[in-house]
Amino acid sequence: MSLRLKLLLLGLVTLVLPWAGCRYAGEMESALRAGELEALQGVAQSIAASLQGRTDLMYRQAPPHPPDESAASGADSVTPPPERPTDPDDFLRGPYDLEPLALASAPPLDGYAADWPQQPSAWQSFAHDEAHRFSILTGVHERMLYVLLDVHDPHPVFDAGGNRTLEPATFGDRVWLGFEDPQGEQRRVLLAASGPGPFVARRIVSGEYGRQSVELEPRIRGAWRPTATGYCVEVRVPLSMLGSAFGVLVDDRDVRGGAAVSYGTLRSDDLHTMGHLILAAPELGGYLTQFLQPGVRIAVMTPQGRVLASADAPAAVTVADGGPPLLARLYRRFVDSPGRRPLLQARAPIYDRDRQVTIGELEVTQAADRWIRLRDRALMRMLNLTLFTSLLLVGVMLAFAAWLALRLSRLRGAAESALTRHGLVTEFPETQARDELGAVARSFATLLARLDEYTQYLRTLAGKLAHEIRTPLTIVRSSLDNLESEALSPAAHAYLERARHGSERLGAIVLAMGAATRVEESIGNAERLPFDLVSVLSSAVAAYRAAFPHRQFQFECGAPAVTLTGAPDLLVQMLDKLIDNAVDFSAPGALITVRLGATEAAVLIEVENPGPPLPPQLQGRLFESLWQSRVGRESDGHLGLGLYIVRLIAEFHGGQASATNLPDGRGVRLAVRLPR
Amino acid sequence: MKRLVAIVEDEPAIRDNYAAAFTREGYTVRTYGNRSEAMAAFAARLPDLAVIDISLQEEPEGGFELCRQLRAMSAELPIIFLTARDSELDAVSGLRLGADDFLTKDLSLPHLTARVNALFRRIDALRRPHEPSDVLRRGPLTLDTERMQALWNGQVVLLSLTEFWIVHALARHPGHVRNRQQLMDAASVVLDDNTITSHVKRIRRKFQALDPGFDALQTVYGMGYRWVE
Repeated sequence: MSLRLKLLLLGLVTLVLPWAGCRYAGEMESALRAGELEALQGVAQSIAASLQGRTDLMYRQAPPHPPDESAASGADSVTPPPERPTDPDDFLRGPYDLEPLALASAPPLDGYAADWPQQPSAWQSFAHDEAHRFSILTGVHERMLYVLLDVHDPHPVFDAGGNRTLEPATFGDRVWLGFEDPQGEQRRVLLAASGPGPFVARRIVSGEYGRQSVELEPRIRGAWRPTATGYCVEVRVPLSMLGSAFGVLVDDRDVRGGAAVSYGTLRSDDLHTMGHLILAAPELGGYLTQFLQPGVRIAVMTPQGRVLASADAPAAVTVADGGPPLLARLYRRFVDSPGRRPLLQARAPIYDRDRQVTIGELEVTQAADRWIRLRDRALMRMLNLTLFTSLLLVGVMLAFAAWLALRLSRLRGAAESALTRHGLVTEFPETQARDELGAVARSFATLLARLDEYTQYLRTLAGKLAHEIRTPLTIVRSSLDNLESEALSPAAHAYLERARHGSERLGAIVLAMGAATRVEESIGNAERLPFDLVSVLSSAVAAYRAAFPHRQFQFECGAPAVTLTGAPDLLVQMLDKLIDNAVDFSAPGALITVRLGATEAAVLIEVENPGPPLPPQLQGRLFESLWQSRVGRESDGHLGLGLYIVRLIAEFHGGQASATNLPDGRGVRLAVRLPR
Repeated sequence: MKRLVAIVEDEPAIRDNYAAAFTREGYTVRTYGNRSEAMAAFAARLPDLAVIDISLQEEPEGGFELCRQLRAMSAELPIIFLTARDSELDAVSGLRLGADDFLTKDLSLPHLTARVNALFRRIDALRRPHEPSDVLRRGPLTLDTERMQALWNGQVVLLSLTEFWIVHALARHPGHVRNRQQLMDAASVVLDDNTITSHVKRIRRKFQALDPGFDALQTVYGMGYRWVE
C-alpha cells in the first residue's frame, strides 16, 4: 500500500465530520420539533378557547342534550347499543344520535359500502335481538346526507310492488326514515323496494277523511341491494329537508305481509325521532380558516373523535427552493430513516364551562415540511461546510502525501543511481531538509560517501598493488638475470627457465593491473579532435584480421563517413578491448561483427560475438573494475579491466557502454553509444 | 680506465643485483642508498653515468632532486631514471629534468646494460670528430645511430634514447606499419600501449616544435604507426 493511499484513507476519516453533522442535524430537528409542537399546542389551545361554549358555531343545530327524558321514553322497543353506553360526560352523544362522516366525494347510490371511507369505527349498530340488527353509516357531502344501512336479515322479503303500497299484504321489509324538517315538524318517508336496484322514497300523506295516500318523494333516492346476510340500503337525503333530529326504523318481516319486527332510532309506535344528526355548523369551516397558517390543518371533532369540520391550508411550498434537490435528497437519505415523515399534531378539548362538559376537540396538524425545510437548510449549509472541510483536508493530505512520495522517490532514485553508478556520489538530495527524511538522506549521504571512499580505494587498489609488486618482482628478475651469468648445472638451468617464465607472467599481470590507471591518466591528457570514425574503425578491423587469424571479422556500416569529435587513439583502444573480449569468448573460426550506426544525435558502436550468453547477475556489472565472472580462455593478466577501460573511454566521450545477449541466445552484443 | 657507474637505489637487493650486472659488464660500480649519501660522493667525484631511482627512502621524489643537482654539476653526465613508477607524468618530469632516458624496472638486466653501453657509445661518438658513418637519411630527417641523434632539416631534435629508437625503427622502412610490440622491441623496453602512444605523441610534439607542418609520423589505427616521407 503506497504512502499516498494510506494518507488518503487517513484523510477519509475526516468524513466523520459530515456524519457528526448529520447526527447534530437530527438532534436539532428533535429540539425544533419539540418547540414546534409546543407552539402548535398553544395554537390549538387558543383556538379551542375561542370556541369555548360556542356550540352554535360548532354544530348545525345545538344539540338538546343532556338528553331530555322525553326523547328516551319511547325507546322501549329498542335496546340502546350496548357497546356504546351513555356516558355522563358525553356531551353530544345520545344513544340514537348519528354522526355523519364528512365525505370527500359523493358515493354512488348502489348499496355498496366499498365507495365509502373504510372506517370500521364509523359504523353504528342497532339491534333488537340476535336476529334483528343493523349497522348504519352516515355521511355528508355537499349539502346531501348519505345513509348506508346494512341490515342483518336471514329472510329478506321484497315489497310486492305495484301501487298497493298501503295494503299490508304487499308489505315486505321496509325502512322508515324519520326526521324533523327545518320548521320542527316531524316527517317520515318510507323506503321500500320490490327488487334490487334504485328506488325513490315515498311519503304517506293523510288526506281528507282519514284517507291516506302515497306520494313519491323524488328528493330522497336510494338503492336496495340484497347481501349474503340480508340487504343493504343506500339513501341520499338533501340536508335542506332536514332539521336536527333524524332516525331510521327497520320493519323486518319474515314473510310478505307478515308481522313486522320494528327496531331502530325511531319510536316504533309513532315513528318519532329519538336521535339527532350531529353535524357541523356551516360557518365552522370558515371560522377555522381564519386560524390557518401555511402547512397547517385545523379540525374540530366531536368528543368521540368524529371530525366535524376541518380547514386545510394550501400545501406549503415544497423544498424546491433550497439548493439542488439531488443533494438535498442525498443528505436526507443520511438523516431520515426511511418512511418517517411524521406530522405534528396537537389537540385541545373544547369545553363548555357552563355545563362542565367537553363539547368537542380541536386538532391542529402541521405538515412536517416546514421544520424539515428549516432543518434541511441548516443541514445543507453545515454539510456543505463540513464536506468542503473534509475535501480540503483530503486534498491537503493528498498533496502532502504526493510531496512526501516525491521526496521519497527522489531519495530512492538518488540512492539507487548512487549505488549503481559505481560510487560516484555527486550530490545527494534532501540532505538540507530538517525533518526525518532529511536525517535519512544525511545518513544515506554519509553511507554513500564512505562507500565511495571504499570504492575509490578498490579502484586504485590494482594500481597500487601493481606498484607494490613491481619492486619485489624487479628483485626476482634482476636476480634471475644475474643467475644466468653464473655457471649452473643443466638441471639448474631448467629451474631458472621456469622461474623466469613465472616472473614474466607476473610481470604481465602487473602491467595489466596498472593498465586502468594508465588509461585514466591518458584520458586526462587526451586531446579531442574531429576525425572520421568509419575510416578509423575499418582500419582497426583490418588490423584485427591480421592480429586474430583464427577469427573472422565483419565490419558493417551504413554511412560512408561519420565525423566525431574525440580521441581516436582512445576509441581504438576501446575497440581493442571490445574485440579482446569478443575473441576471448568465442570459439575459433567464429564471426565477430563490428557495427557502426549513426544518427543525428549519437553514434552506436556494436561488437557481436557468438558464444555463451551473459549470466543474468552480470548484467550491468560487466563494465565495473576488476569484475570478471565469465570463464574465458587461459588469460594472461586478464583481470576484468578490459571492459572497465571500455567504460572509462566511453564515459570520456560522454557515452555509455552496455551489454546484452543476442535475442536467440547465440551470443553477446557489447555496445557503446556516443553522443555526437 | 674503467668507467664509473653510480647506482642510487634504496632497495638493497635490486641495488646489489644491478651492481653485479654492471660489474660483470666491466664497469666500476658505486652504490648509494639515499640522496645525501650519493651527493656527498658525487661532490668528491662525478661518476661517468648515474642510474637513479625516483623514490629514495624518505624522499618520494628524491631522484628528481638528485637529477637536478647532478645536471647542475655536469651538463653532459648521462643520467638514467630507473624506477618502478611508470606514470607518464613521472617520465615527462624526469626527461624534462635532463635525464637521458627513463626506464622502468621491468627492463631486464641485459637490456639495461645494453642501454648503458649505448649511452656511453653516444658520448664517445659525440666526443669524437664527426664521421658520418652510420647515418640514416629520410628526406629532412637525419638519424645518426652512432651518436643517437636525430636531425630535422639540420636541426637537432632532442630525443630520449627510447624515443630515438622508436623513430629509428619507423624511419628505417618508411611506409611500413610498425605495431606497438615492434616499437617496444626496437626500443628494448616493456611498455604498455598507452605509454607507446604517449611516446609517439611526445616525439611528434618535439618535431612539431621545430616544424609546425610535421606530419611524417602517422597513426594507423588498430595497427600501429608508420613513417611517411
